[in-house]
Amino acid sequence: MCEFSFKMNIINHLKNNVEKNPTKIGFIDENRKITFYELYEMVIKFSNSQLLSTNEQVISLISENSISFIIAYLGIINSGKIVHLIPPNISEKNLKNQIESAESEIIICPDNSKINIKSIDSNKISIFEFSEIISKTGKSNKNHKMNQIAYLIYTSGTTAEPKGVPITHDMIDFTTKNIIKVLNYLNSDVDVLPLPLYHSFGLGCLHTSIYVGSTLILLKNSNNLENILDSLEKFKATTLAVVPATLTKILNIKNTSLNNYFSNIRLIITNSTSIPKNTVIEFKKILEKGNLATYYGLTEASRSTFMIFHENTHREESVGKPAPEVEIEIRNPDENFSKLGEIWISGKNVIKNYWNNQIADQNVKEGWINTGDLGYFDDEDYLFLKGRNDDIINVGGEKIIPLEIEETIKQISGIKDVVAFGINHEIFGQTIKVNILKEKKSDLDKSKILTYCMKNLEKFKIPSKIEFVDEIPKNEYGKVKRFMLK
Amino acid sequence: MLYKLEERKNVIKNIFFEVFPNLTENEFGWEKQQKNYPNWDSFAQLNMITFAESKFNIEFSLDESIKIKSATELLECVNFHLK
Repeated sequence: MCEFSFKMNIINHLKNNVEKNPTKIGFIDENRKITFYELYEMVIKFSNSQLLSTNEQVISLISENSISFIIAYLGIINSGKIVHLIPPNISEKNLKNQIESAESEIIICPDNSKINIKSIDSNKISIFEFSEIISKTGKSNKNHKMNQIAYLIYTSGTTAEPKGVPITHDMIDFTTKNIIKVLNYLNSDVDVLPLPLYHSFGLGCLHTSIYVGSTLILLKNSNNLENILDSLEKFKATTLAVVPATLTKILNIKNTSLNNYFSNIRLIITNSTSIPKNTVIEFKKILEKGNLATYYGLTEASRSTFMIFHENTHREESVGKPAPEVEIEIRNPDENFSKLGEIWISGKNVIKNYWNNQIADQNVKEGWINTGDLGYFDDEDYLFLKGRNDDIINVGGEKIIPLEIEETIKQISGIKDVVAFGINHEIFGQTIKVNILKEKKSDLDKSKILTYCMKNLEKFKIPSKIEFVDEIPKNEYGKVKRFMLK
Repeated sequence: MLYKLEERKNVIKNIFFEVFPNLTENEFGWEKQQKNYPNWDSFAQLNMITFAESKFNIEFSLDESIKIKSATELLECVNFHLK
């Protein structure tokens, strides 16, 4: 793997903060706070650990949000190695697969929570706690050469087979500068982050805070709404990064005046899972002095578009325009849907290849990546997403986007959530099935849903099966795990 | 569960009005065949089966689904499942 020194990378930006503001509190987690200087010292200690002085290229890190995570992440990078980020809730089978694919031989985990994994060969793989790494720190080694790749994440989003996505320092630099430029992140910001750092969205927020030298408040659980709101108030937060589902849940908290909690917020950034239109409208009212924004991107092509809702009326369902120096094309448009087609992305935020995966590499051609998403641009070049290419349901030759069925059914009173997908049918090839999560006190029955569909959808779009379910399987970002439905 | 024949007939008649929104009372007939309904194509057939399955909480086999060509045949199929 190519190794070379960088003029500016995430470590250099941390150094800048140390030089300019050594005593500023840079990071606060649920147990402690730390200045830029203190963090930098710990990062250096970590990267000088004798336990990392091996020939291994990749080191795995498995941890929830914490200051220790940041020290380990930056420490591994500073030691010239690649960080393989693993979600703590990963299944043993997936962990084994990822470790084998990444060719990692060291796993680092938090203190007092050393993982015990039967399927991992302890003769080949070493597992260390944070404090073990720090305690074995050696002489300062100024000759660490940065690896071209900073970190490796296996995408587990909505598809069945995880793929390793290597992210380079150049990609981080390009993406982070775009985030700062478009969303105006400032040195004076106080950023509340309840999103996991082991995913692209949360990690991008960490990079942004380090680049501008703001203060980052790390929370562990995005479902703890009370903690999020209390943190906004306690730290006088100016930005918040959350998934759309969290915003919708916050709106449903009763007997709470949300305006007070959000009085200092100048920006809420969320990601490209579809945001209910009403959530956008309500948060535009709550954020009297701030902006609600979203972005569209994949781990493979982070932050490819941005949308600032306050600057655009009547486009609540758009993910915005391409980020600076990012190109997006709609290819192979379907004649049945005007302008709708596959979304392809090109730019310095796009990976050149996957990690040891030639099959997945077929999606990356001449600097362009096929996202597998479907979308279209409106007349003013705002991008709208309409689901995944793989998710299209083909009923007797008629192609149907699940989102259209889902949006129609969601309009029925008493429905909390719905997912539409194709099921095999001997005559039609496929027909539509919908799984529906009803509101607790709803007395809806299948006939009422069918009647509504008949009035609002063409006949080939009427579901042939309806099932009331207790749960719709989703990933941490609120995206439906469709492979679990088929 | 609907047990009475008249109730079943009413439900089936209403299914026809749901699947064929422009159908009038005069145009409906128990023996009227599929070929005499201008909009009774394969998708309408699928919708009709889906409605009947959800209204009566039953499930038709593929063979049953294909052979239904009139309101009477749909009623017979429903009766078979509810007997």
